[in-house]
Amino acid sequence: MIQDLVVHGVFIVYAVLMLMTVGLVLTWVERKQAAIMSDRIGANRAYLRIPFTQVKLIWWGLFHGLADGLKMLLKEDWRPNSYDRMAYAVAPWFAFVPVMAVFAVIPFGGELVPGTFFGWFEGTSEWFGDRSYAMQVAPLDAGLLIVFALGGIAVIGAMLAGWSSNNKFSLLGAVRAGSQMISYELVIGLTVVGLILIYGTVNLVSIVEQQSGVLFGFIPAWGIFLQPFAAILFLVAAQAENQRIPFDLPEAESELIAGYFTEYSAMKMGLFMFAEFIHIAIIAALFTTLFLGGYNLPYMTDAGFLLPGGFEIALPHVLVVLLQITVFWVKVFLMCGFLILVRWSLPRFRYDQLLSFAWRFLLPLALINLAITAVAVWAIQAAGA
Amino acid sequence: MTIETVFLMVFALGALTGAVAMFFLRHPMRVALALIGTMVSLAAIYAQLGMHVIAVFQVLIYVGAVMVFMIYAIMLLDVRDRSFTERFSPLLVAGLAGLLLLLGVLIDGLLRGQPFPAVDVPPDAFSVGTFAIVFMEQFWVYFALTAVLLLVAEIAASAVIDIRRRGQDVAAAQAERGNDRG
Repeated sequence: MIQDLVVHGVFIVYAVLMLMTVGLVLTWVERKQAAIMSDRIGANRAYLRIPFTQVKLIWWGLFHGLADGLKMLLKEDWRPNSYDRMAYAVAPWFAFVPVMAVFAVIPFGGELVPGTFFGWFEGTSEWFGDRSYAMQVAPLDAGLLIVFALGGIAVIGAMLAGWSSNNKFSLLGAVRAGSQMISYELVIGLTVVGLILIYGTVNLVSIVEQQSGVLFGFIPAWGIFLQPFAAILFLVAAQAENQRIPFDLPEAESELIAGYFTEYSAMKMGLFMFAEFIHIAIIAALFTTLFLGGYNLPYMTDAGFLLPGGFEIALPHVLVVLLQITVFWVKVFLMCGFLILVRWSLPRFRYDQLLSFAWRFLLPLALINLAITAVAVWAIQAAGA
Repeated sequence: MTIETVFLMVFALGALTGAVAMFFLRHPMRVALALIGTMVSLAAIYAQLGMHVIAVFQVLIYVGAVMVFMIYAIMLLDVRDRSFTERFSPLLVAGLAGLLLLLGVLIDGLLRGQPFPAVDVPPDAFSVGTFAIVFMEQFWVYFALTAVLLLVAEIAASAVIDIRRRGQDVAAAQAERGNDRG
């Protein structure tokens, strides 16, 4: 149906624009947060001058991201005499596209009824009828599995880049990246299995919907309250998967220059950097979806608020949709801020420590958490039956 | 022609191109990339046919796990081995014989024109829930057995490498002793 195509087309454009903007803003957040934490002013040089005036718009250095983007787009695309030009050319895309595509299965809002939402436009209600859409680019029931499938492809990008660059530092970075991403992906998978046991589904829309309720009459039924231990493990492993400090060994500048993308310049290098920043947003969005109730506020439903004691506040559909989208992005930004805070707070691991940490510490903990969850779910189900 | 048919043809062409490229490319990394192309195209075809679980597993297991390890291994291959620069593989004759056999079987199948039997598939047969229940009820034991067999094979392979390496070390030590005497 043409209506379905239009709605999903709008969702796709929205998702791409939002991710690009968030990626751009996060480059500024990282600099500004570093400046604040180290008592500097920081990131305040780039500005836009209003033409024919001396008025400079600095806006706390927000334009640094734009300046970076322009620099990378306009720089000479220098290429090394690489082993394999094809692998060298496709590697940045292997890193960038899967990261963007993961967002397709993340619900950024609840149910959208376009006929009601755009009710004030003449004829829109009749055209859309009573169709309703989950606010998600690709409404697939295998949501969480798709996240892991695409995560696996991103590893290939780092390895291809390092191998094809014909540089020993790059190759070492690629070997490190491959080992690290495979190790920590296992931990992420195991931490999430506990949630799958509890919710009984891998469909992210369904997982978020189940978090809209309350536990014991007053605690929001968010994943973090049901699986607090898994939430911590997930965050640690996700930071490692994204190869950021304290886990940035594949691109440790004091050892490997820039690791697997040492030989990349201009926008190809920009794609790696951009993928890293968008990955922060994706981790934050996944954490929000799995552990922080997604687009839900406590006691919030698709019709408004249902407070403890049965007190109900009904809200119009337009307001609910806007509130849900805002809540989702506020949570995502807060999580991004936290992840960047970690990045500027901790020193770097040694590489053997990094792998030991995954296999000897996080993996056993994730297994213990999973075993306890399985027994608890079984006991609760047996008691219920 | 519907848009679904167009997508199906595009991905089928992608899968075929990748498969043919695997025959003709000589560099291991390029062959691996062609295989990834074929697998992703196959996954897209499964997704197009509504079998999302199979599509996801195609990418998750074959691309995300198997191919990642293959690329990891190829990345660490000895760069001094330039055998891939030769135009044909030493196994050219065996490969051509295999190709002819495969083509013969395919052409025979097409000429006989046996129609595919119509299968009555319920609409949610390939949803994650249905698939998981069938898998756990019917195939879980086989799956676990295969995992154990794979583990045994991995341990055996490691043992063989270890024995060979020790043999090389002993030979090197003996050669060194011989040099010392000389």
